[in-house]
Amino acid sequence: MATTLERTTALRGFRCRACQLLQPADERYVCSDCYGPIEPEYDLAALDPDLLREEITRGPRSLWRYAPLLPVAEPASHYTVGWTPLHLAPRLGAAIGVERLYLKDDSRNPSLSFKDRPVALALARALAVGLDTLACASTGNLAGAVAAAAARNGLRAFVFVPEATDESKVAGAAAYGATVVRVRGTYDQVNRLCARLADEEHWGFVNFTLRPYYAEGSKTLLFETAEQLDWTLPDHVVVPVGSGALLTRTATAVTQLRSARLVDDTPCRIHAAQPVGCAPVSDAVLEGFREVRPVRAPTTVARSLAIGTPADGDGSVAAIRASGGSAAAVTDEDVLDSCALLARTEGVLAEPAGGVVVAAARALAKRNAFQGGESVVLYITGNAYKGQPVSGPLGPVIGADADEFRGAYVDELR
Amino acid sequence: MSITVRLATPLRAAAGGSATLSFDAPDVSALVRQIADRYPELATRVLRDGEFGRFVNVFVDGEDVRFLEGDGDLRGKRVVEILPAMSGG
Repeated sequence: MATTLERTTALRGFRCRACQLLQPADERYVCSDCYGPIEPEYDLAALDPDLLREEITRGPRSLWRYAPLLPVAEPASHYTVGWTPLHLAPRLGAAIGVERLYLKDDSRNPSLSFKDRPVALALARALAVGLDTLACASTGNLAGAVAAAAARNGLRAFVFVPEATDESKVAGAAAYGATVVRVRGTYDQVNRLCARLADEEHWGFVNFTLRPYYAEGSKTLLFETAEQLDWTLPDHVVVPVGSGALLTRTATAVTQLRSARLVDDTPCRIHAAQPVGCAPVSDAVLEGFREVRPVRAPTTVARSLAIGTPADGDGSVAAIRASGGSAAAVTDEDVLDSCALLARTEGVLAEPAGGVVVAAARALAKRNAFQGGESVVLYITGNAYKGQPVSGPLGPVIGADADEFRGAYVDELR
Repeated sequence: MSITVRLATPLRAAAGGSATLSFDAPDVSALVRQIADRYPELATRVLRDGEFGRFVNVFVDGEDVRFLEGDGDLRGKRVVEILPAMSGG
C-alpha cells in the first residue's frame, strides 16, 4: 500500500554491513552483535514514487528536501546546506576529452566544502538527543564544517587535525570559535586519538559516535545530481576518495533512488579519484579489485584526501566494481595543473581535491572509460579559499595521546 | 612478555565487562589465538578467519598493527588498542 508522505523519514533501523542484522536506530554506532559498521535502512518500496518525487520537488532548496530518505529531521536552528548547482562544463570537457561533462559544485556550501552535508545530519542528531559538544577527526574540511555548525547552533566544538593541515583550514576552524587541536603525525594518528576520546567523552563525535547519521549526508550529492538531471542517473560519476565514505554513499544513493523508483534502472558507473601519494583505493581497483593496502605516510598536495587507512576503502572497491566503474591515481603536478584548468575554463576555483577529480577524469577519458554522449559528473568538493584572512587562537600541538590532550587543554575541557 | 589489550566500550560486554585484558603473547598470531581461546565472545566481534577483522583498527603502542615490523613481534611492546575502523576527512 502506498504511504502518504509528510516529510517524515522512512527509516526502518540500522543494518549491519558485516552480519546483516537489522537493529534499532538509537545511540549505537557499531553493530551490537559483531562490531561491524551499521547503516540506516529505509522502507522505500512502500513509498509512492510520484508522491515522493512531488514532495521532494516542493521541498526546501537544501538537502532536507530528501527528508524521507534521511534518518533524522531538519533542525530549525541550522542554516541552508546543499542544493548546490550542477553546471554543464563544455570548455573543460573539450580540454580533457569528455563530450558531456558536468560539475557538481559542492564548494558552494556554508563552510565551502561538501562536509557541511554530513555535518548537517550529525548536528541534527546531536541536537535531537541534547548533546552540547561537537567533535571530529579531520584532514581540514570537516573541521571547518563542524566548527561552523557548532557556532551556528551555540554548541562547543573540538576539532582534531594533523599538524600539517592546510593553515587556512586550521585558521578557519579557529575563527568559528572551535578548539582546534593539532596532533603530531598523520591523519591515522589523529583518528586513533579520536576513536579513544569518542569512547570516553560524552560528545557528538560526528565521524564516530554519530557516524550512522553523519555518513548519510554524503548521499545527497547524488540525490541532487539525479534530480538536476531531471530524475535520471548520470552515466558516470567521478568521486574524490579520502575515507571512502562519499564514494560508498554515492553507491547507496543510487540503490535507494532505484528502490524508491525515482529513477530508471540505468547504469551509473562510479569512479575513484586519488592522488598517487595516497591512492590505496585506486591502486586496489587498478590491480584487479584486490584488498586495500593501507598507506603509512601519505604525501600529496591534496591534503584533504590524505587518509592512508580509509575505513570505507574495501567498501569503495566493492562499490566501484559492482557499478562497472574504474579509478585513476594522478600526480601532484597534474592535480595543480587541473585546478588551474578548471578555474580557467569554467570559473570554478577548487581546492586540490577538485584537481584530483579533473585529472582523474582526463585519465579515464584517455582510457576510453566514457562513450560519446554519456553524461560524466565530477564532484567538486571544496573551495580553494578556506577562510584565509581571519583566524582565532590556537592551542599547542600534541602527540596522539589522550592524557597529553587532557593535560594541554585543561581550560577548554572545563 | 605481558601485554595489555585496551577495549573500546562497545566491546567490553564481550569480555566480561573489562576495559583492559592481560595476555602473555610474544607476537600478534599468539595474541589472536589467546583471544580466541580465552574470550570466544570477543573473538566473534574482532577476529575473522584467524586474524583481526577489517572492521577494527588495531594499534600496538600507537602504531597500526599492519605497519608493525618483524612479523607482528610484540616483545618489548606494552599496549594493544582495538578500535572500530572509522574515518572522516
